[in-house]
Amino acid sequence: MSGELCGIVGIGQTPYCAQRADVSIAGLCREAALNALEDAGLEWRDVDAVVLGTAPDMFEGVMMPELYLADALGATGKPMLRVHTAGSVGGSTAIVASTLIESGIHDRVLTVTFEKQSESNAMWALSSKQPFSPHINAGAGGYFAPLIRSYIRRSGAPEHIGMLVAYKDRLNALKNPLAHLRIEDISMEKIESSPMLWDPIRYLESCPSSDGACAMVVAREALAKDAPKKPAWILGHAMRSEPTMFCGRDEVNPHAGRECAKDVFNQAGITDPLKQIDMAEIYVPFSWFEPMWLENLGFAEEGKGWEMTDEGRTALDGDLPVNCSGGVLSSNAIGASGMIRFAEAARQVRGDAGDHQVPGARTALGHAYGGGSQFFSMWVVSSEQP
Amino acid sequence: MFQYRPMPAEHEPLHASFTLEYAYTRSTGPVVGRFLTGLRDRRIEGVKTREGRVLVPPAEYDPETGEATEDFVEVGSAGVVQTWSWVAEPLPKHPLQRPFAWALIQLDGADTGFLHAVDAGDESQMSTGMRVRVRWAEETKGFITDIACFEPDSNEARA
Repeated sequence: MSGELCGIVGIGQTPYCAQRADVSIAGLCREAALNALEDAGLEWRDVDAVVLGTAPDMFEGVMMPELYLADALGATGKPMLRVHTAGSVGGSTAIVASTLIESGIHDRVLTVTFEKQSESNAMWALSSKQPFSPHINAGAGGYFAPLIRSYIRRSGAPEHIGMLVAYKDRLNALKNPLAHLRIEDISMEKIESSPMLWDPIRYLESCPSSDGACAMVVAREALAKDAPKKPAWILGHAMRSEPTMFCGRDEVNPHAGRECAKDVFNQAGITDPLKQIDMAEIYVPFSWFEPMWLENLGFAEEGKGWEMTDEGRTALDGDLPVNCSGGVLSSNAIGASGMIRFAEAARQVRGDAGDHQVPGARTALGHAYGGGSQFFSMWVVSSEQP
Repeated sequence: MFQYRPMPAEHEPLHASFTLEYAYTRSTGPVVGRFLTGLRDRRIEGVKTREGRVLVPPAEYDPETGEATEDFVEVGSAGVVQTWSWVAEPLPKHPLQRPFAWALIQLDGADTGFLHAVDAGDESQMSTGMRVRVRWAEETKGFITDIACFEPDSNEARA
C-alpha cells in the first residue's frame, strides 16, 4: 500500500435478524449509514463520495440497486460506485473506498454494504439451473461440504472440530447485541444433535440468512486525527482472485488466499502473524472454515489449523481470538458479511467492541472470501498511527 | 492477420431455451408502504419535502437533499397530462390490451408527474394538458395495479 494514510473514523451497523419487515432496502442501508455518520460526528454534507457493495442482484431482484439507493445514501450530486465480488464484496468495498482516500482523490468516503435475504432466497439463487450444464442443486453448503471433507482427510482433524468452532462463535454472539443468532442454551450436545445438512456440516454449524447493513466512514490522515473518536488506521489491504473451475486449483487451501495474506501482512510489516496480530475476524460461513483459513492465512502450518481451535487458542481469551463478534456463523447479511469482518476488526483496535472486546487489541485482521473460494479481500488495521 | 472463416455447419453454436425464476418479497418501508395502503383504500397520498414540493408517488428520501420524507399529503384522483406517448399495438404484459397512451400525469395537488396508462380509445383523444381521472381496479389489494389506468375526465366543470 502506498499513498495517503487512511483512517476509519465511523462505523455503523444495523442489528442482524431474519427479517426487517419494517424497512425497505433503502431504509436498511440508511440506518447503517446514519449510525456510521453519528459515530464519526459527521453529516451527509461532510461526505465526498459513496461506495456501495452488495451481492448478486438476483438475491433481492433489484437490478443495479446503487441507482435506487443514491437518495437514501445522500449521494445526490456526488460520485457513487458499486462494487461486486460475491461473498467477499463487503471487504473489497471497504478497500475500494479506502483507495479513494489513499489516492488523494477524496477527503472522506462513506461505504455501505447490505443484504436483505428475506426479500428472496439466496441459497437457491446461487444454485440456478444453467443451460448446457448438469444441475447440481446443492446450495452453498453443498458446494463447500466436499472441500471440508477433503480438509479432514488431508489434516486428520477429529470430527468434533467443526462443532467446537460453532460452539465458540455462538458463545461469542451472546456478547454481541447486534448478532442475529443468539442461542442462550448453546452446548456441544445441542450442536451435535442438530440435523446433518451436508455431511459433515450440521444445521448449527451453518450461517443463518440475515437482513442487515454495515457502513463505515474512511478519511484522510489529517481529518482522521481530528475525528472525535479514536480512528483505526489501515496498515495494508489486498485482494486476489482465481477462476472457479480449474482442475489444478486447490480449493481447500487456495493459492489466491495465501498470496493475498502474504501481500497484506507484508504491507503491514507483519513477519509473524500469530505473534503480531491480536485478533482476527475471518469469513467462516460453515464451522470448518476456521481451521482451513487459519492455515491459508499463515497463522498455522498446513494441516495444523484445527489444533489451534482444539486448544482454545481462537476463543475470546485465547492468543488469537477469532470472530469475537460471533462471526458469519451468527450473522450473515451476505453483501455486508465481509464488511462486518473489516468493521469488527476496526472496532477492536479502536477499543470500541463492547462486551466482545479483546483487551488491549492493537492490530487486527479483517478477512472475506467469496464465490467458490476464489475471491479474497483482507485488511490489517491498527490502533497506532504508522 | 486474422481472417474470418464461416463456421462449418457441424460447429453451430449451442442453443437452449431457459427460464430463470425466483419468488421475491418486498418490505416496502414506512413511505412506499403507506402509499400502497392508501391505494387499497382508493386514496392517493404523496409526501411534502421541506421545500414544500409534493412528490407523487412518494419518495422515501428527498431526491434533491437526501432528507427523509415524513409529511404525507392526500392529493386528487384526477390531474393533467404533462406528456404522453401512444402505444398502437399493446404487448401481452401491458396494462391494457387495446391501444392506449403512456402518460406523465400531474395529479391535483402534486408537483411531480406520475407515469401511468391512459385509456383514451384513440390517439386523437390525447393531448398535453388534458385532464384525466383514475379508474380503480375492481378489487384493490395495496398494489400499484390498484390503479387500473387513467381515463379522460368527462367532468369538464372541474377543468
